[in-house]
Amino acid sequence: MENLSSKYGKTLNLDKLTSYCPGCGHGIVTRLVGEAIEELGVMERTIAVVGIGCGGFSHHYMDIDAIEATHGRSPSFAVGYKLAMPENIVFTYAGDGDTCAIGLGDLMHAANKGMPITTIMVNNTVFGMTGGQMSPTTLEGQVTATSVKGRDISSQGYPLLVPEMMQSMAGVKYLARESVDSPKAIRKAKKSIRKAFECQVKGLGYAFVEVIVPCPTGLKMRVKDSYERCANEMTDYFKPQVFKDETEQGDVA
Amino acid sequence: MTQETLFLKNTETFAESLARCGVKYHFAYPITPATDVMKRMAVILPQYGGQMMQMESELAVSSALAGAACTGKLAATSSSGPGLTLMHEAIGFMCAAELPCIVFDSMRVGPGDGDILGAQSDYYVVTRGGGHGDYHTIVLAPSSGQEIADIMPHGVRLAYKYRAPVLFVLDGVSAQTTESTTLPAYNDYSAEFDTSEWAFTGTKDHAKRALITGSYTHQDGYEMNEMLRAKYEVIRNNEQMWEQEQVEDAELVVAAFGIHGRMCRDMVAKMRAEGRKVGFIRPITLWPFPDNAFEALPESVKNILVVEMNHGQMVDDVRLAVNGRVPVHFMGKTGGDQPMHTLAEMITEANRILGE
Ligand SMILES: Cc1ncc(C[n+]2csc(CCOP(=O)(O)OP(=O)(O)O)c2C)c(N)n1
Ligand code: SF4
Ligand SMILES: [Mg+2]
Repeated sequence: MENLSSKYGKTLNLDKLTSYCPGCGHGIVTRLVGEAIEELGVMERTIAVVGIGCGGFSHHYMDIDAIEATHGRSPSFAVGYKLAMPENIVFTYAGDGDTCAIGLGDLMHAANKGMPITTIMVNNTVFGMTGGQMSPTTLEGQVTATSVKGRDISSQGYPLLVPEMMQSMAGVKYLARESVDSPKAIRKAKKSIRKAFECQVKGLGYAFVEVIVPCPTGLKMRVKDSYERCANEMTDYFKPQVFKDETEQGDVA
Repeated sequence: MTQETLFLKNTETFAESLARCGVKYHFAYPITPATDVMKRMAVILPQYGGQMMQMESELAVSSALAGAACTGKLAATSSSGPGLTLMHEAIGFMCAAELPCIVFDSMRVGPGDGDILGAQSDYYVVTRGGGHGDYHTIVLAPSSGQEIADIMPHGVRLAYKYRAPVLFVLDGVSAQTTESTTLPAYNDYSAEFDTSEWAFTGTKDHAKRALITGSYTHQDGYEMNEMLRAKYEVIRNNEQMWEQEQVEDAELVVAAFGIHGRMCRDMVAKMRAEGRKVGFIRPITLWPFPDNAFEALPESVKNILVVEMNHGQMVDDVRLAVNGRVPVHFMGKTGGDQPMHTLAEMITEANRILGE
């Protein structure tokens, strides 16, 4: 196979086939993260703290050090790491289940601490890895393996809007929700992810980007349909937007 | 910091000993009877270029501890039973991941939220791993302020030598005792070890490294467990520690750790003065359990009495160590206004056994 490193730089390692299913949104987000690290020239001092879920494999496609944390705790791992080694760039990468089901407490407190850490939450509205169960971000009425008649908001609650929960936190300096449903959306997502890393490189504070992606396997959909769902139902509810951008302060160190 | 003798609560001695032996980062969440450790760390760590960080839960505490340990730097935490239970997620993780750190459990009455009075209720949970999977943590049980200060360099060395969490346990009574202790001069014992071989400091220092405790193939899980099995075998063979006195001709040996272990010294002196042939064994490592001390007991020993501040936990390990050769008796209590047996009660029970 053609070695793609010359084209994409040193951070992304595309020599091996990824573990992602065909059409999985993780592939796009992993690439955008790799490109951001590459463009900022911080690859050699960047550490990935990945969650448990399909995104846990993401670090295999980047030539950077990585820590596979316990389920949901990557923000707390990152806090401990950053305290001990502030000169390094630390980012967490995990799915919606990891980030806002089991790990919501860790996430909110890490964000509120306002340490320069970058978090990428890849929201596909299901627990992909364990076979498509309901997650906190599963849409109203969405049928999953554990919400067989569709998510019932009267007892299962509304889909969680995570960045909205962080909006009032002064320590959060970059906050956005993006999508990968079209080339245009991907270009915007790329910009946000880059800013979220820049925010840390400048030492400004916490940065968070939620990315809305399809999981064709967990949703039991054809790839094309899953992208259409991403462009419509998903982004109708999870509206892509930059909530906060305070990255214009300071220089890239 | 130079060597100095201070009149301190043993929790404070614990904090001082951590900082003077090289701990730079301390993560904790308040809980009686362990809070004094984090309070003192908050004050003293900045003097050593470090920091105490209060987290929102003990789950976050142990996760942050694991994150800090990934850098190769020395970090610690302090808690009591209810907090320790939550910490076991990342303690087990650090065993699998081979990360060094120091964990302190100032034991109180359990289970549930239990009671804030001192106890030895966590013997099982600290010596049996604590979380899921086949793992152990090294457990040190000093019984006085001076022993905390004296053993801390060894604790740090064990953590780095075996790249594993080292647990210190004190019953809350010993932990809250105030006494004179000579604290060591500052020396970072973790600096004796080369962490560049394994620490996750970025690819500027080495080729890509990934910390993975989950299996990608079934063979991975097998190999991780075999690696741990071999490591624990070495620790069992080399790291047992205990104190013993007057065991050579004893008819009765008393076995206890922590505050009861400390009381054994007076008990044996008193009973020997009355012509009673009594000796004691005080385990200092609870894991690995000092099997060697019990295997080497002379023929003269006809009975063993185990005293604990619980309903009988360490007694199981004593029974395993003597393997039926000697009858093993137990006395212990937990909770109440006086959550432990007095010296007089211990002597009465010992005399009863001797008179049987
Ligand atoms: C403590 C714990 N509970 C449960 C699991 C099982 N588990 C593995 S991945 C996962 C869900 C992952 O979902 P998400 O974070 O949305 O990631 P995705 O695969 O969808 O990208 C769960 C529940 C686990 N590994 N650890
Ligand atoms: S199950 Fe879903 S999230 Fe996981 S790799 Fe497949 S498509 Fe991606
Ligand atoms: Mg998911």
